[in-house]
Amino acid sequence: MYADAVQKVIDELGRLPGIGPKSAQRLAFHMLKSPAEDAVRLTDAITDMKDRVRFCDRCFNISEEPLCLICSDARREPGLLCVVEEPRDIVALERTGGFRGRYHVLGGAISPIDGVGPDQLKVSELLGRMDAESVTEVILATNPNIEGEATAMYLARLLGPLGVEVTRIASGLPVGGDLEYADELTLGRALEGRRRLAGGPDSENGIR
Amino acid sequence: MLVQRLWLNDFRNYTSVELSLSDGVTAVVGDNGQGKTNLVEAIAWLARGSSFRGATADSMVRGGCDGAVIRAEVVDGQRTTLLEAELVASGRNRLQVNRNRVQRQSDFIGHVRATVFGPDDLVLVKGGPAERRRFLDDLLVDMQPSNHRLRSDLERILRQRNGLLRQAGGRATPEVLSTLDVWDAKLCEVGEELAARRVALLAELEPAAGDLVNLLSDGRSALNMAYESAWLEVGLAESLVGSRSDDLRRGTTTVGPHRDEVGLSVDGMPARSHASQGEQRSLAVALRLAGHGVVTSHTGSDPVIMLDDVFSELDPRRATSLISLLPDTQTVVTTAGDLPEGVVVDQRVHVHDGVVST
Repeated sequence: MYADAVQKVIDELGRLPGIGPKSAQRLAFHMLKSPAEDAVRLTDAITDMKDRVRFCDRCFNISEEPLCLICSDARREPGLLCVVEEPRDIVALERTGGFRGRYHVLGGAISPIDGVGPDQLKVSELLGRMDAESVTEVILATNPNIEGEATAMYLARLLGPLGVEVTRIASGLPVGGDLEYADELTLGRALEGRRRLAGGPDSENGIR
Repeated sequence: MLVQRLWLNDFRNYTSVELSLSDGVTAVVGDNGQGKTNLVEAIAWLARGSSFRGATADSMVRGGCDGAVIRAEVVDGQRTTLLEAELVASGRNRLQVNRNRVQRQSDFIGHVRATVFGPDDLVLVKGGPAERRRFLDDLLVDMQPSNHRLRSDLERILRQRNGLLRQAGGRATPEVLSTLDVWDAKLCEVGEELAARRVALLAELEPAAGDLVNLLSDGRSALNMAYESAWLEVGLAESLVGSRSDDLRRGTTTVGPHRDEVGLSVDGMPARSHASQGEQRSLAVALRLAGHGVVTSHTGSDPVIMLDDVFSELDPRRATSLISLLPDTQTVVTTAGDLPEGVVVDQRVHVHDGVVST
């Protein structure tokens, strides 16, 4: 229908996640109308990113060096490892400012229907880090959905026998939320993961 | 619970509809193929998040349009809620409660509860086990919207587990087995819970449905509803271990709540094969009505009752008994002809070729 060059751009854009045929068409025509230097800037930015950005050799976070900024930061606590699905999860966790250990990016979650099994994830690399970095605690921070929970359970069964402490991030109520609007499942999890504030038979912090 | 107003845009054969519904009985009258059932389907969609006819979103969107909108104003006690659902022909539906976007379907359904009596209800008795499982699971969602999560989690886990079994191609490598262990554990968690809720529901349904069958047919027969499960006694974990080699060979999960059945028998004989056509109809109506009663007792308010072309299927005596048994609550009745005696209509709506007139 369109000139080949235009159709090619539409097809390529249409392959991006979240972009349907209509959006691809709109974007292509926007680019066609905008000045040539805009297009050059975009293509340069993309090629530059692809040239310079790679994955960290150790944790598979995105990085411009062989080791990412977190892995090469000496102030980071060694021995404490947080396992996430994607690099963008690191960004989210870093925003909390509350984690001082290092990360490990799996590159997804176990999902047979998408053809993703443990072999497609950075699982053996994770196991390799246990001894190499004398890891004492692994925090599993995969998503709290079916696939993320299954992945966490898989890793826990793998790591447990190695003698490291394996923990799972808590799930529960959003801060600033109302109890009455919470769904039953979330509220149930929040109850299971409750914390002691005072009293009780011992002075431990956690109740579980 | 009342559906006070209903708006439709590009839904099925409706371009644009705005309709106020009586809190008593609304009769939707029109010839066949004009869109009566589509009105019922729209209200039932709000209750379930899916079509009671099993239709895809694609087929509910009016031809040539990108999406359909179902909007309803719902009153429950003192609370008025505006529900809006945009069904997208291809892609994710958009749901809003009081103009606020909700991400999860389980936060959307539950504002409307509906009991639909349809001409196809006979499949509850004559159809396969899947029909009866769906009947129970729909009721569980009506009783407690969060049960929707349990149901969708089960489906997802089964898809993943079956995907893994298929990929394994019958070869039980250590990698496959260790991943399978995880999916088994997940399946047990969710499956045991769902089955326990089904069993509890059945215990409430059985006596109510038994009484209703007798009232509908003026007979004295004993209805028995039994949850038949190949794994419940030994537990799902153990059963999955036992069926693992079978599952691997067949590439599918052969045991679990998705294979369970509700056995219906009347006076000790299976209803599916031994009851007369008339008895089967009475039984199907009794199941719906009993379900309605259970949902009402759990939620404290009646779901809206919708009778979709039911009277053409029932003989006059059963139709009269059904009417006398229906609770006094908001009711929508669709019909192509006259309604049986005893139906007191508060509002009449005419449907002709996708246009509604009152």
